[in-house]
Parts: sequence; C-alpha cells; structure tokens
Amino acid sequence: MEEKCSTFSLRKLSSRLMQMVIVTAFLLVNCLPAMAQTSTKVKGVITSGADGLPLIGVNVVEKGTTNGTVTDFDGNFELTVSSNSVLDISYIGYLSQQVKVVSGTSLYKIVLKEDSQALDEVVVVGYGVQKKKLVTGATVQVSGDNLQKLSTTNALGALQSQTPGVNITQSSGQPGEGFKVVIRGLGTIGSSGPLYVIDGVAGGDINALNPSDIESIDVLKDAASAAIYGARAANGVVLVTTKQGKAGKLQLTYDGYYGTQYLANMPSLLKAKEYMTMMDETRFNEANPGYDWANVLPTTLYNSIMDGSWQGTNWLKESYNEAAPTQNHAINLAGGTEQSKFSLGFSYTSQEGILGKPVQSQYDRYTARINSDHVLLKVKDFDAIKIGETLNFNYNTKSGIAIGNIYGNSIHNLLVGNPLLPAYDEEGNFYDYDDKVNNGWDFDGNTGNPLAGTALSNWGLNLSKNYALQSSAYLEIQPIKNLVFRSQFGYKMTASSYRSYDGIRHLSNNTNVEMDNVYQSASSGHNITLDNTIAYKFKVADKHQFDVVLGQSVEKWGMGSDINASGNNSIFEGSFDHAWVNNTKPTVLSQRGAGGSPWGEGALASFFGRANYNYKETYMASLTMRADGSSNFAKGKRWGYFPSASAGWVMSNEAFMENTKGWLDFMKIRASWGQNGNAAIDNFQYQTTFAFDESNGYYFDSGKLTQTVGGYADILANPDVTWETSEQLNLGFDSRFLNSRLGLTFDWYTKTTKDWLVTAPISGVWGLNPPSVNGGDIENRGFEVALNWNDKVDEFNYGATVNFAHNENEVTRIANAEGIIHGDANVLSQGTTEMYRAQEGYSIGYFYGYKTAGVFQNWDQVNNTSAKYAGAQPGDLIFVDTNGDGSITENDRTQIGNPHPDFTLGLNLNFSYKGFDLNVTGTGAFGQQIAKSYRSFADSPLQNYTTDIFGRWTGEGTSNKLPRLTSGSHTNWQNISDIYIEDGDYLKIQNLTIGYDFKKLFPSMPLGQARLYFTAQNLITFTGYSGMDPEIGYGYGKSWVSGIDLGYYPSPRTYMVGVNLKF
Amino acid sequence: MKKVLYIAVTALMFTSCESFLDTESYTKKTTANFPVTEKDAIQMVTGVYATLNKSIANCQNTYFYLSELAADDRFGGGGENDKDMQVMDHLLYTNINRFQSFWTDRYSGINRANWAIANLDKVENETMRNQMMGEALILRAFFYNELVEMFGSVPLITTVPQDVADAQIYPAQSPVDDVYAAIASDLKKAIEIMPDNKWNSTISGSGHLTKWTAEALLGRVFLFYTGFYGKESLPLMGEDGAIAGSIAKAEVVTALEDCINNSGHELVSDYRSLWPYTNTVSKQFYPLEGNPQWVKDGENPEQVFAIKCSHLADWSTTIGYSNQYMLHFAIRSHGGADQFKNLFPFGQGWGAGPVSPKLWKEWQAAEPNDLRREASILDGSKTKDYTYGADKQMEETGLWQKKVIATTAPKSTKAVELDGKIETVINELFNSFTSSDKYYGDGKDDDFQLGHEVDLNIIRFADVLLMHSELTQTADGINKVRARAKLPAVTYSETALRNERRWELAFEGTRWADIRRWGIAEQALSNQLGSDIWNRGVATVMKNQGAGYAARYAATKGFMPIPQSEIDLSNGVLKQNAGWDASAVFVSWNE
Repeated sequence: MEEKCSTFSLRKLSSRLMQMVIVTAFLLVNCLPAMAQTSTKVKGVITSGADGLPLIGVNVVEKGTTNGTVTDFDGNFELTVSSNSVLDISYIGYLSQQVKVVSGTSLYKIVLKEDSQALDEVVVVGYGVQKKKLVTGATVQVSGDNLQKLSTTNALGALQSQTPGVNITQSSGQPGEGFKVVIRGLGTIGSSGPLYVIDGVAGGDINALNPSDIESIDVLKDAASAAIYGARAANGVVLVTTKQGKAGKLQLTYDGYYGTQYLANMPSLLKAKEYMTMMDETRFNEANPGYDWANVLPTTLYNSIMDGSWQGTNWLKESYNEAAPTQNHAINLAGGTEQSKFSLGFSYTSQEGILGKPVQSQYDRYTARINSDHVLLKVKDFDAIKIGETLNFNYNTKSGIAIGNIYGNSIHNLLVGNPLLPAYDEEGNFYDYDDKVNNGWDFDGNTGNPLAGTALSNWGLNLSKNYALQSSAYLEIQPIKNLVFRSQFGYKMTASSYRSYDGIRHLSNNTNVEMDNVYQSASSGHNITLDNTIAYKFKVADKHQFDVVLGQSVEKWGMGSDINASGNNSIFEGSFDHAWVNNTKPTVLSQRGAGGSPWGEGALASFFGRANYNYKETYMASLTMRADGSSNFAKGKRWGYFPSASAGWVMSNEAFMENTKGWLDFMKIRASWGQNGNAAIDNFQYQTTFAFDESNGYYFDSGKLTQTVGGYADILANPDVTWETSEQLNLGFDSRFLNSRLGLTFDWYTKTTKDWLVTAPISGVWGLNPPSVNGGDIENRGFEVALNWNDKVDEFNYGATVNFAHNENEVTRIANAEGIIHGDANVLSQGTTEMYRAQEGYSIGYFYGYKTAGVFQNWDQVNNTSAKYAGAQPGDLIFVDTNGDGSITENDRTQIGNPHPDFTLGLNLNFSYKGFDLNVTGTGAFGQQIAKSYRSFADSPLQNYTTDIFGRWTGEGTSNKLPRLTSGSHTNWQNISDIYIEDGDYLKIQNLTIGYDFKKLFPSMPLGQARLYFTAQNLITFTGYSGMDPEIGYGYGKSWVSGIDLGYYPSPRTYMVGVNLKF
Repeated sequence: MKKVLYIAVTALMFTSCESFLDTESYTKKTTANFPVTEKDAIQMVTGVYATLNKSIANCQNTYFYLSELAADDRFGGGGENDKDMQVMDHLLYTNINRFQSFWTDRYSGINRANWAIANLDKVENETMRNQMMGEALILRAFFYNELVEMFGSVPLITTVPQDVADAQIYPAQSPVDDVYAAIASDLKKAIEIMPDNKWNSTISGSGHLTKWTAEALLGRVFLFYTGFYGKESLPLMGEDGAIAGSIAKAEVVTALEDCINNSGHELVSDYRSLWPYTNTVSKQFYPLEGNPQWVKDGENPEQVFAIKCSHLADWSTTIGYSNQYMLHFAIRSHGGADQFKNLFPFGQGWGAGPVSPKLWKEWQAAEPNDLRREASILDGSKTKDYTYGADKQMEETGLWQKKVIATTAPKSTKAVELDGKIETVINELFNSFTSSDKYYGDGKDDDFQLGHEVDLNIIRFADVLLMHSELTQTADGINKVRARAKLPAVTYSETALRNERRWELAFEGTRWADIRRWGIAEQALSNQLGSDIWNRGVATVMKNQGAGYAARYAATKGFMPIPQSEIDLSNGVLKQNAGWDASAVFVSWNE
C-alpha cells in the first residue's frame, strides 16, 4: 500500500490513508435465494456501520470481472451484472463484503463493517502521520469522540482517564481554571508542561478549544517520538488535531448538555458552641482562664447561642451556590467534495461556580472554527497542489474568587471564618465592623465577615475577557507522486482585558478600606511560525519502504504589550459594573496609576529530519535529528542537537509464530532512545542586565514624594547557559490477543533530565541574584500498562479499558554546595518554616518537616523519652530524633511526604445494547500525600476549626495523632510536621453516562442519530483523605509543587442531561 | 550520504539564522549600554542607597533592631508568636537562617557600591565625581561595619564578579582586622576627596551623605574597634589588599572636630523637636510645655546620617520605603475602639522592644530633672484604660519608647460636653501623622503598616559631640548636649560619658555597641533580670531564657549566627560563630 505524507489530511478524508478506530458495528446482509437469469441491473446504497452515514467512493465489482463502479455522494450505486453473480464490495478501512445478486431485489442496502483489526489506523506523529502498527515510540491516541463523550468543559479533563503516563491534575476546581499536565514525571522546576501542537502549530492553548472541536489528540511520550519537536519537547508533546473537512454529504451535528453542580463533600466546621469550647480549652491548657463569653459577645448573640436557637454561621454553606448550572452547546458542520472540503464548528460553554456566593465564579466560552482543504491541481491519481487552512477562535470570560495562598484565598477565609459572627445584620446587609461595634462585640477584633471580604473586594469583583486566535495555512506541492513539499504558516494572537473593583469596606480592625480602587489591564500579542518540509516515500525492491522528511521551522513570539491603569474614588461607589478607571475621580495624582510593558520576545529556529524505514512491515527503524537555536542563549550556546533512534519488530509476522496465531493476533516489540531539549528560561541570563525598578530607587528629597531612579545589576551573568536535555530510553510492546478482543500495551522508560535549567541559590555575598544555570539532573523511571477488552454477544457490546502507570522521581544533582533549592515559608500558616523543597536524593517538591511518633500519653512516657523539647508534657507531640543526636532540633526535619503519586489509574467500562449505551469512567492516583491546613494555626489561634479537631488529645488514651490544644506558638502546632500530612490516595468515578439513541426506536426519523443521555460527573470518590477533594494540583503557585490544600476549590459533582443529534 | 549533505546545508543556514535569534531587552540595560553617562553613574550610586530601604523591609533582622532588642535597655516583646523578637533579647535563636535577608541586603549594597566605585570615572565633573565616589565609599564602609560588628569576620569583597563562574569559588572570611582596614580606608578616602559643602548644601543634593557623615562614621568605627578589640589605632588597607598603615586617635579627633566646626550641623534647641510626636498636627492634642515643634527630615541640622523613608511604600515595591521600625516598636492592639485615642499620639504596631523598667528607674535616680526621660519614654500605665496583654504581648513593661514609634494624628474632631464644658476631642485618627495633608499625605493613604515616613537616624550630631568627648576625655561635648537638655555642666568622667550616651541616645541603635565596646555587656544584660513584666497580660518577672543572659553573651561575645544556608552554600568555607549550636534554640518562654 502506498501512502503519502500529509499532516493534516486525516482519517476518512483521504481514503487511501486514513482509517477508523475500532467501533463495533451492525452488519446487515441481504441474502435471498438465488434465481437464474442472464443479466440484471442492481441498485444499492452503502452506509457505514459505525454511524449509518453513506459511504462515498466504495468499489463495487462483479466478482471475477472488471465490471464495476463506485458509489456516489449519497452512497448509491447502479451496476448491470449477470444473474447469480456476486458483488465484491471493498472500501479502505472497512471489511470487504460479498453480496449475492438476487433477482427481485430492487435496492440493496449494504452496511459495511469497519475493519476491527484497527492495526492500519494512523496516528499523528508530528510533521506527518504513521500507521499505528509501524510506530516504534510510545504514543497514545485519544479520539475526539472519546473526549467529547465525557462532557467536560476542557479536553484535558477528559484525557485524564485515557492516557497512561500522563498525569493530569486540575490546578483548581474553579470554572475556567486549568490543569497541571506532567508526562512521565517532573523533569524540571521550570516550565514542566508539555508542548502543545495544535494543527501543526507549536505552542497553542488547548484550553481554548471545545472538546467537540477536537478530532484527535496524540500524546508523544518517549523521546524518540517527540524528537522531531526537539526544542521544548523535554516534557513531552501533545498533538491536537481539530476536526477536518470530510468529502461527501453535508454532515451537521448538534451536541448539547445542561447540568447542575453540587459540592460533593462539605467539610464539617465547628458550630458556635463547639468553637467556644475549643477556644476555652486552649486557654485552660495554658493555665489561663476561659473567655468571658457573656461579656465579649453581644448579648443577643450570646443568648441565642446558649439557648440553642442559633448554631453560629457556617461560612462555607453561606457561600455555597447549590445547583450551579453548567451547559454546553456545540454545532459542527462538515462536508465538501474530494476537491474541496470544509469543517465548521461553533460552541458555547457556560459554567457557574459552586462557591463564592453572592459573587460565585463564572466562566463562559465561545469558540468558532473553520478548517478547509482544497485541491487545486490533481494529476492522475494524486493531488499535485493543495492548499488549506485551520482557524480556531476562542473568546471566554471569567470571573473568579481568590484561590491563592493563605493571604489570598476566599475559601480559606470561609473555612477559618469565626462561627460566632453573623453573616448578615438585621437589615440584610453584610455584618461588618459597625455591627460589631454597635452590638458590643469584644472578642476578636481582627475577625471579619469573610463573605463580605470576597464580595466587596477584588477577590470577588473581577472579570477577565480573553480572546485567542490560532490559525494556520498551508500549501502542499507534490511534483511527483509521494514527494511532497509542504509550507505552513501559523499565526496566533491572544488578547485579554481584566477589570477589578476593590470596594470600600470596614469589616474588622485590620480590614478597613476607606478608598475604593478600580483596576484595568489589557494585553495583546502575536506569534508566528513558518514550517517547510519535504517528504518522500519510496520503496526499494518492494520490500524496503522508506519515509523521509526534512524540514525547517522558525518561530517568533512575544510581539505584544501589556498596559494597565488604576484609580481611586469611583463616582459609582460600590458598583462593579461601573468600575472603569475613567469613573474614578482621584483627589491627588498619586491615586491614579498606569503601567505598560512589552512581552518578552523570543525566537526559535530549527532544522530537522526523520527517516522511517520498514521491511515488510515487520522490521521498523526510525532516526530523527533536530537542531534548534534559541534566542534565550548567548551566541555560541544557542544551538542544541537532539538525536533519536528507535526500532520495532512485529514478531507476530514471523513464520515461527505461526502456531500462536490462534490466540496471538499481533505482537510488536519496540525500543527507542532519544534526547529532547528545553530552553524555557527568562531571556538575557547570559549577560549582566541592569534594572531600574521602583523598588530600587531612593527618596533623597525631604518632601518624600520624589523618587530618584536607581540602577543596579540584577543578575550575575551566566554566559554559558544553554539547553537542558532530557534523555529517555523506552522499551515496550503492543499486542492483541483472542481475535483482537484483548489488547495489551506495555512501556518501560527511564528519563534523565540533564543540565537541568535551574535557578540555584548562590551565596548572598555576591550581592546579586543567581541566573539560570544548567545545574542539575533529575531521573524519572516508570512503566505504563494499557489493557483493553472489547467483545459482543449478539447485540450486546461491551468493553473495558484499564490503564496503569508508575513513576519514580528523583533529583540526582543540584549544582550548588547545598544541593537544595528551598521552598517557601509561611505556606500552611503564617509563621512556619519552609515545607517543601527540591533536594538531591529526593523527589522534587517533597514535603519537609518533622516526623512525629504520636502523642505523649503520660508523664512516664515523657520522662522515658530522652530526645524531646524542654517543657514537653503529656498531650504534646513526640517528635522523632531522626539524626539521633539526642535532642530535637531543626536538623531533625526530613521528608514527611511526597506529592507525586506512585501509581495512577484510568479505567473505562462501556456497554451497549440496541440503542442503549452505558459508560463508566474512573481515575485514580495512589501513593501521594497531601499537605492540608484549613487554618493559619501558628499565628491565628482564633480561627475556626473543622470537626477534625475533635480528635485532639484530651487525656491519656484519647489521641495519638493530634496534640492537646495550645496556642499556635507552641511547637506542637508551629512545627511543620506530619500531623499536617495525609495520604491522598483516591479513586474517582469521574463519569457515569446512560444514553439511548431514538434512531433505533424511530428508524424513519430524518436524523442519523438522536441520542439522549444522562451523565453524572465526579459521582463517587473513594478516598481516606479528609479534605474536600483529594485531586489537588495547587502547589503555592509553583509548577513543581502540588498537593497543598489550603482550602482548595473542589471539583463539583455534576448531574446533566444532554443530546447528540446528527442530521 | 543524504545525512552528510543535510548537515552541510544546515551548517550554512545556521549562520544566517543567528540574526533571527538576536533579541534585545526592552526593559533593562546591559553592560553594552550602561553605565555610559554621568547620569548613569549617579543612578548606580542611587541603587546603593536603595539597599538601605531593602533591609528595612525586614527590619526585624537588621543591625539596628538587634542593637535595640539585644541591648539592656529594652526587652524582646512582641506577641507570643513573635519569638524572633524575644530571642534577640535573650541571644537565642529559633531560625538559624534568620539573618539571611540582612546578610544578602548588605552584600547586595556592597556589590552595588563595588560596581559604582568601578564606574564613577564616567562622571566628568571632578567635584561631582568626588562627591559621588565618597558617598559610595561611605555606604560600603557602613555596610561592612554593620556586618563585622554583627558577625565578626566576614568575606571581604571589593570587586565585581563578572559572571557566575566567578561565584563558584567561595571567598573565605577575612580577619576582622582586614575588614576594619577596608572600612577605615574607604572612610579616609571619602574624607579626603569629598567637597567641603555644608551639610545642607551638598552638591549632589539634599539627603545625600557628606564628608561629615564619613568623619562621624569614622569616629564610631574607631571607638568600637579599639574598644572591643583593645587596640590603639585603626588599621588601613593598602592598594594590594594588605594592611598598610593605620589611623591613630588624633586623626579621628581631627576628623570629628572638622565635622563639629565646619559641617554646619548643630543641635536643635529643644530635644523633643527631634521626635515626630511634636509634629504640628498631633501636638494640638498632645500639648507639651514649651511647645516644641518637630523639625522635619531634611531640615534637621542634627541628621548626620539618616536613612530616608517616604510616602510611596507599597507591598508591590518595597515596604522598606516606610520606616518599619516605627511599626515594629509600636504598641499592640487589643481591638478596643478607643485604645489609640487613649495612647495618643502613639499608634498601633507589633510591640517589639518594651522598655526595661531598670532604665526608667536608674535614669530617674541618676538624673531626676532630665526632661529627656519623659521625652523618650511613655509610661503606659499612666494612660487611660491601659490594658496589659494586648494581642498576647510578651515581656511587656508598660513602658514604651517615644522616638521610633508609629505616631498618630487627629483625622476629625468632635465637640463633646465634659464637666459642663464643651471640649473638642478627637473623633477619628490617622494611623500616621504623615498621612495628613499637612505633611506628605492626602488624608487617604493611611495604612497603619506602611504610613511611617519619618527617616531613621543612624548618626545624630549629639552622638558626634559625645564621641568627641569620649575620645578626648573632655566634657565639652557632654556639656553641649546637657545644656540643650537644660541640665548643669559636669566634669568629664567615664561614668558621666557613659550615662550621657545612655540618656541622650536611648533607643537610637547605639547602646548595644556601647556596652560591648565598654566591656560591660554581661553585667548590663544581667541587670534586666527580675524586672516586672507581663506575659499575655499575666504579671511575672524577667527571667533567664536558655543559658541566660550572661552565659549567652560569654558564649557569643555578642556576635550573631551566620545564616546556615550561607555556610552550606559556601561548602563549609564559612565557619559558624561560637555559641550558635542547638543548645541555643529557643522553644517557648520559660515562665
């Protein structure tokens, strides 16, 4: 079979090339008794078993003759054949059929079943496609259908369960927030996300696409597969292909759903009386009298708490936006002729947040897509000149609540909010400082209404609008068959605007904002790429098949700017809708501010080549070389060279395997090795730069208002900084058993990131910030298993997919004397020390602190323990003397947790019977820990607790985990220890869908499909974790840290109803 | 074959690609275009000054803060979680890396000074060049002086590293003599080259350091070095980086006399005018006998060396543009509505450095008529509704210093009937008087954490007079200072000098160095024991923590721990100071 090389022609589009994925189909064959006649005219229509759509260009040949025809646009054919003859019906990607000609049959309805062998399916490999059975690297393909059927707003959410070795974690459950994607373990503390290539253009934003826009996603996991994208491929490559035009009848589809969302797990917070008990107990434990509640609380509040008529405020419930709606509507239209094909799509998605009432989060997204391909010149049996384009436009608006660290997290503030404080006063306004003063509140002057804290400030009053255009245009010239020159120009544009309003509010002693503030910002920028490739496919001696690509690529980005402005004193005080800088009327000039800056510009120039070879589709080899030049490095250090090699052997093709044919259908063994690069650092690290920022001026002037500009060298130059290299060895096999009902894919890999680009601390004596250096190594090792089973019993189809991945991560070198990159302090609570770090010999971002060995139960135990803090008493934590020096010091801190899972799991079960279908999808992660703190325990002892605190020590035998209550400064609480660390293992039933296709009930309806379905998302989570959601991508804003729960916006449980209509 | 060809073609194309890959920073300058002009060179010197404010952003880790809390006249204080404050008083630690920010800020200042010194030849005007060079030298000397007093021997770096390879070899700690020689040489050179303009007509403008600053700082360095190390003179450093020559006492006296006679600096007439509580806005509700009025920063002839603070401190730039000491040393809030009206005009803060009752008593006994005592110390217990234990205040004495403290002002007033008379009282407060439009503010920007715009005095002219007295063992300087305080003249004695410094310069960051160089630190620190204090509102007395004041001073000699992370990053080249092992860890206040 001959193939041509083309990135963008996809399955069904180029019939000689593309094939369909496995789908079970119904096979209807008309078989009637034969009758003898000489000649007869037969008419028929041929449709696909997969979707019931007519098939165009199907070969219909009278068996044993050259008499034949092909079907037209509507799948119809007409042919005059001799009686009693047999029709041979064949079509690429479908099983051939033979149909007996029977007199008296006026119309043959023939349904072609797709070729379940599926081994001829093609995957996108970057600058081309390749038959899946010939692939020698570790790649995984997920079809758009499989993404769309999970009804997620974001394609990455649907990928979660379907890609072993790709760890996808939501960075927040807030609508419109993204995901952390890590392929085969973290290799850097810098930019760790994979490279997204959308329709052949590198660097796109997958979040800008509606899952319904996606035809397929291919993830290139091993170095050899990704090597063609050498630069920036160190973290893996995700190739996204949007839906392409299809020749044939116009096909219009509508997919829509509407759902409501709920909080799956409401943490249990202390009620008023419980809170008062805990506060008093803390005082008693330190030999202080309890609080005089009757006097420090307003009388009416106090009385209503004591007589039980008021239980206090549950701030989280007050903020809960129950049954928050979400909806999605997508229309897709595809059609055209073999000469000119197009695909159009429009979609609208809307999701409201479940938290943050009355300023709950809101996300709306509109997308539009136009893809088309046109053959300008066709010569004989190939397309000599072809042009085409892809165009994806996205517009989204987002308003959210604060989801950052403990100083900027609305949910944290709800969790710690004082339950004694009412949410609203008698007039229905937020209960604020004046209410506290008027009612005689004299308890905690710093406690304020957290609902108002968000609803009246820029934490809740904000709106961003984002526009993104991702487009490409190509020209393909094929002067001789199979020699294809292709030139592709890519253009991306993003623009956004943001607006926020910080309102006047007086909520507590320390929250007193007397002047409102309006902030506006806007930015826009462009990115261009130009790729030129020459591909040639040829055979030598009919058995040696070569497929060679040479290419060149240039990219330039960051051509853009930011501007921002702010002002005080809005004339529309309190109104977010009127919060525009022009509406602010500052009384002095300093109340207006403005800024503007360019985007960091950069460029990449690349040359690459790849040669694929196979012998009889049994022995395969592939070589790739790429050279990349990055503007981030000094001349002489710019170019990185990234080679790779891979080989495969289809063992099952061998004669000696003949006796296994009964149970083994296919077995391919693969091996690959390669290097990829990463240049994702700030530019200009190679030279000393001088900065002139506002924080480095000086106010000589006695008027104190005039700053003199200061200039200073801000980094120590590193002229030698160059590419980070990730080297990976991959061994694996693909296999199919039992008539291809069982599939098993296995991969083992070891990935070493060398010359890791890192900003390693340097000694303070140099007085300069350290530059990025090639200063470390990281190793990731692991394996992946994907197992699937598909079968049918009569009309009952069922299938199961389980995938499983294991990864181990270890930092093996950090190039400073200390071997450590320190993490932040004050993460779990203000006043606590560093709690995560990167260090030689450990997993990147591991949790760092004291180990505990329970709680001292009695004085005997205290006295018999030599290593302890002075003053330890029963009820205090037993810190472990890890270095054995006989005392508990800072040096006893050690690893107390690891945020990276040892194993990840994805599973899918599907059943269908007649028109019914049922699908269950689950994901799981095991072996990771979560650092959880829902209160700033060290410095804010009056914050509320969850009912977990009922498990504290109150006397011998009561608890061996949580110490007695003391004020935050006590080492029990102030030391970061494993009492804040929990196992985060979980298994989530991510999606459960039941559908029915009414086409089965009313076959005559003018629709190809009319499916109605019900979906429950995030239905059940099996976990021992005590927080709201164990899937926690938050890592204090760092890409290399995760699993920190400070009040994490949980992903909602969603119930939805949807339809799929095909016209 | 194909591959060879491909590589050849590629190689050709690479060269043309290089220009495509060239980028230029649109927001920063590089060594290619900076520094070129005189303006650039001056910007470099400004960048050195900027590090002064950087360290104020983390003032709790600075030399000045240590000088106040570690010395005998103040305790640690703060809330029960503010162990950083308490450990400074008791010479213990909770975090061995505590001084990392200060270490880094001072070395960053040194590095910037090194850059400036190496590039000031770009200033064509000779007078200006000498002035700017002198400023950079004084700053470098000042930075090293704080480091060497605080940490003992430290790495001495006087050149600029070119790239990260230079930073691979960690410089060893230089002997303290070398560090002092470098300091002395910088100051000597500054004195020699700087113009003679009066303090208020500096050619580089107001707020810049002067020749007079260099002379005063030389006095301070000389006194500490010779006192603490028992030396007669201060070493000088030759061009080759080895000690060559010295500065004798007479030379220092001459320098101080030059400063006293020729600088234009003088004492302001009323001691209280030095402190911001006598500002024109606040004082209408804080009447003082004789109606002293605050002399604004930049107009105060006593400011020989002051770190400038300003109106535009911001969390997004640096909070160090505001005088964070005023916040840290101010009184904790108990949340009651009228607390700071009752304490007027002293405002809200973190409660660091309660004043030792011993100072209050000893001062009264020694100098009962000294108006400076009440001008410097607020007796909280005499204020209306004073509450001990606000926000878990520790080591509270009820006594608060009045010099470097948040100072409030009336924002609005109201009329009330008191005892049958209509009186105007404060209705609402500004957190800082500088927020009022009488000073720098517009009345709105009144953040209680950031609104502190009063400069931090490092050397005041009174100090110069007292240093002169001490060096010459004459009473002239002492008596000028006493006369301003309306106290009779005395004859020179060691006790008179030491007392005068303690009273006149109380809470101005000099006491710690004084008790160390006079060799009286152990006894002075131990003198704190037994004082009445309140922890979280509960009365108790000051007790030894850890090994105790005397033992801790004996173990450390007053030097602080070098940040452990610096030691780690030096690959063991840096050696930790004595006394800073695990036995010095502070856990919680031992009642």
